[in-house]
Amino acid sequence: MKRIGFDGVFLMPAFIIFTLFLVFPVISSFYYSMTDWNGLDSTMEFIGLDNFQRMFQDKAVWSGLKNTFIIALLVTVFQNVIGLLLALGLQGTGRINRVMRVWFLFPALLSPLAIGYIWSYMYNPLFGVINSILEFIGLSDWTQDWLGDKKLAIYSVIFANIWQWVAFSMIIYVAGLQSIPRDMYEASNIDGAGALSRFKHITFPLIAPAFTVNMVVTMIVGLKLFDILFVMTNGGPGGATENLALMLYRQAFGMNQMGYANAIAILMFVIILIFSLIQVTLLRRREVEY
Amino acid sequence: MRVQRMFLPAVLLIWSIVVFIPFYLVVTMSLKSPIDLQLSPLSWPSSLQFANYWKAWTQANLGHSFMNSILITATSVILIVILSSMAAYPLARRTEKWSAMLYVYFLAGIMVPFQLAMIPLYKLLKALHLIGEYAGAIMIYSAMGISFAVFLYVSFFKTVPREIEESAQIDGCGPFRLFWVILFPLIKPISSTVVIINSLFIWNDFFIPMLFLQNKAMRNVPLSLFTFTSEYSNNWMLIFAAVVIGSLPLILLFILLQKHFIQGIASGAVKG
Repeated sequence: MKRIGFDGVFLMPAFIIFTLFLVFPVISSFYYSMTDWNGLDSTMEFIGLDNFQRMFQDKAVWSGLKNTFIIALLVTVFQNVIGLLLALGLQGTGRINRVMRVWFLFPALLSPLAIGYIWSYMYNPLFGVINSILEFIGLSDWTQDWLGDKKLAIYSVIFANIWQWVAFSMIIYVAGLQSIPRDMYEASNIDGAGALSRFKHITFPLIAPAFTVNMVVTMIVGLKLFDILFVMTNGGPGGATENLALMLYRQAFGMNQMGYANAIAILMFVIILIFSLIQVTLLRRREVEY
Repeated sequence: MRVQRMFLPAVLLIWSIVVFIPFYLVVTMSLKSPIDLQLSPLSWPSSLQFANYWKAWTQANLGHSFMNSILITATSVILIVILSSMAAYPLARRTEKWSAMLYVYFLAGIMVPFQLAMIPLYKLLKALHLIGEYAGAIMIYSAMGISFAVFLYVSFFKTVPREIEESAQIDGCGPFRLFWVILFPLIKPISSTVVIINSLFIWNDFFIPMLFLQNKAMRNVPLSLFTFTSEYSNNWMLIFAAVVIGSLPLILLFILLQKHFIQGIASGAVKG
């Protein structure tokens, strides 16, 4: 009896704050998604699934969905490919390796807001750095309006986001690589395996746990990307970079459509849930014990 | 073979430059005069304008928002550490069914995107009169941070041998003293991971302050920067000076703690 009392004292504060400020809002979001609440009036009417019906007929939602998927796919692929390459180059414990890892992590320390400003300036068509560099190395034909071009803008923002976070993936891969027993490599050396086949048959299977974590995390981050889009393009030009996260923010706080915005939030949540479950199931199957 | 051996160093070299250029740009831009802007963006400033920093500091009201950022970040992080480590202890030790269920309950929070809670939180905070109050943002950050922290603490407590507690109990040590005097110092590595990851997120966040701390007196550093840039939208020298000032605290903290930081991310992610 006494033990339960102490457990309660230890658990209660966290339980109350977590329940009141996260669980309760999350659960009530399902209710709000079925109302016409506008955020200003204290009254709201229950309208069933009307918001969801409206959502699926809304062309903007479909294009936002498409952008959401493009961003998530490219962030997942490139952040993992670059992150893994950097980790392979810097997995050693020597001083240079450690210094370089710290250097690569610097972008991750900046506020996404700062990243937004920096890269807006990098991409500026008139006096931006990227076009200047291209001109300097004689590739004037490649200069672009990186954020103003409807086709390019989304990729420009995705690159800025990868620039910021790729070192996080790198660190997780480094940890995975360092946990591989050295004798595995020695054995493969004796067998005369080349670098590529060693990567394919030893390294890649054995970093599977790090791979799972990285894939799932980068995908979720990609699916709900907000800050950097908000600062760099705010959905433009002409909706070319508008994703679900931006759309629901605008619906909620720009157009006072809280109920409708919550329906979009639920769509986002369902997508994240389904894709994470698929990824975890597929990737866990690949993990091996050693 | 030679191509293979050159490939990774080439990738490292290219990425070092890709990381370097924007940092170089921010620092040189923040020191330029308006005339220098006409030159190429990569050129070194003709004279160093340290006055930009002073202007940015005063005009973006950064002194005040620094205090706000420190207050909000420190309070939230301390709450997350204390609440999560305490909750994790019984969750790691009890074998009854309720403890497993509660653990899953806390973990579920990792899956939830903030957007799902955002609109109901707006209504809840309005009802509690916490919009435009530090406490509102602090409660939200704490609730968001608890899940991952509980997860890290529970896995760590499970590696702490029970014998330590049993011998302390035999010596007549009560559960609170046992926790704070004996166990809490033991879990320091996880606490530093929790502190670093949450400080990084809370210090840099501007979304939650934008929704819930609009009041000028409450703004944190990123939100001040955000409102400042709409007033000085083309004054890139001042914007970048403010970016440097706002990023310095975390960069200094990182340089001091980088060993813990890297270990923390690695252990938090891979052991889970």
